[in-house]
Amino acid sequence: MPITTRTFIRASIVYLCLGALLGLTLYLQRWLAWDPRIILFKSSHVQFTLVGWLTQFIMGVGWWLFPPLPSGPRPGSAHPIRKGQQQRGSEPLFWATFGLLNAGILLGAIGDPLFNWTRAPIYRTLAGLASLFLLAAAVCFVANVWGRIRELGRPR
Amino acid sequence: MPPIARAFVKAAFAYLLVAFLLGALMMLDRWLNISRWLKVVYASQIHLLMVGWITQLTIGVAYWMFPRFLKEQDPRPRGSDRLAWGIFACLNVGLLLRFTVEPVSFLAPSPWLNALLALSATVQAAAAIGFGLLIWGRVRAMEP
Repeated sequence: MPITTRTFIRASIVYLCLGALLGLTLYLQRWLAWDPRIILFKSSHVQFTLVGWLTQFIMGVGWWLFPPLPSGPRPGSAHPIRKGQQQRGSEPLFWATFGLLNAGILLGAIGDPLFNWTRAPIYRTLAGLASLFLLAAAVCFVANVWGRIRELGRPR
Repeated sequence: MPPIARAFVKAAFAYLLVAFLLGALMMLDRWLNISRWLKVVYASQIHLLMVGWITQLTIGVAYWMFPRFLKEQDPRPRGSDRLAWGIFACLNVGLLLRFTVEPVSFLAPSPWLNALLALSATVQAAAAIGFGLLIWGRVRAMEP
């Protein structure tokens, strides 16, 4: 399991725990009525579990297990086109995916509830920025892994 | 596939079937007005899909396929069986408790029902943290 995948999976486990604890807080609020503003964090609970946990976990495992890119010899040379981790695609782009995804999750999880609470335009900008980060993360991931969705072995 | 992973995956399939059946009934209810219960089960149905199906399947497959512990780390290749069964029990008890109580709490709100819902969320959060503890050491590089 490469370091990139380990980072994605560990982050996703942290989000699973955070999402579950936030869900618990929402139910405690429903029972004990501490502060009605807590309910504004429902969108953060969804963000943590759906994107932080499941999406990030799937991306990490996909990067680890999808078929590698072709690595045959370079034309006219004995050296392979790709070797080692390069067969998984661009590692810097995958790290960028990680950065964008997690910046998007955290900014969205903070910006959206705070905007609904304060109505301050800065938080709306933050939430908007978060969604752009998530979109950029999705584009980076798909562009990076697209070529790996292929048949393994020789075509019949 | 070890018995614990099989239990997670089979339970996940069962939730998939139940959630889709409920989804179909909820759609039919818009047309035929079958039951008031079907109008308030929406949030629980989403959780059957998100927790019962996708999360449980993910946990089961990760438990099965992630690199096993090295013998020096833990003599049990996949970690504590007792913890894994505890996670399975907590996740499913919490989910079923929520599924049973939440629609009733929408129809007839009561502090007791809200307390039961908080209990269901506590048990599910315990399952999430338990899974984190169980799998963390197995998120590692494969041995050369």
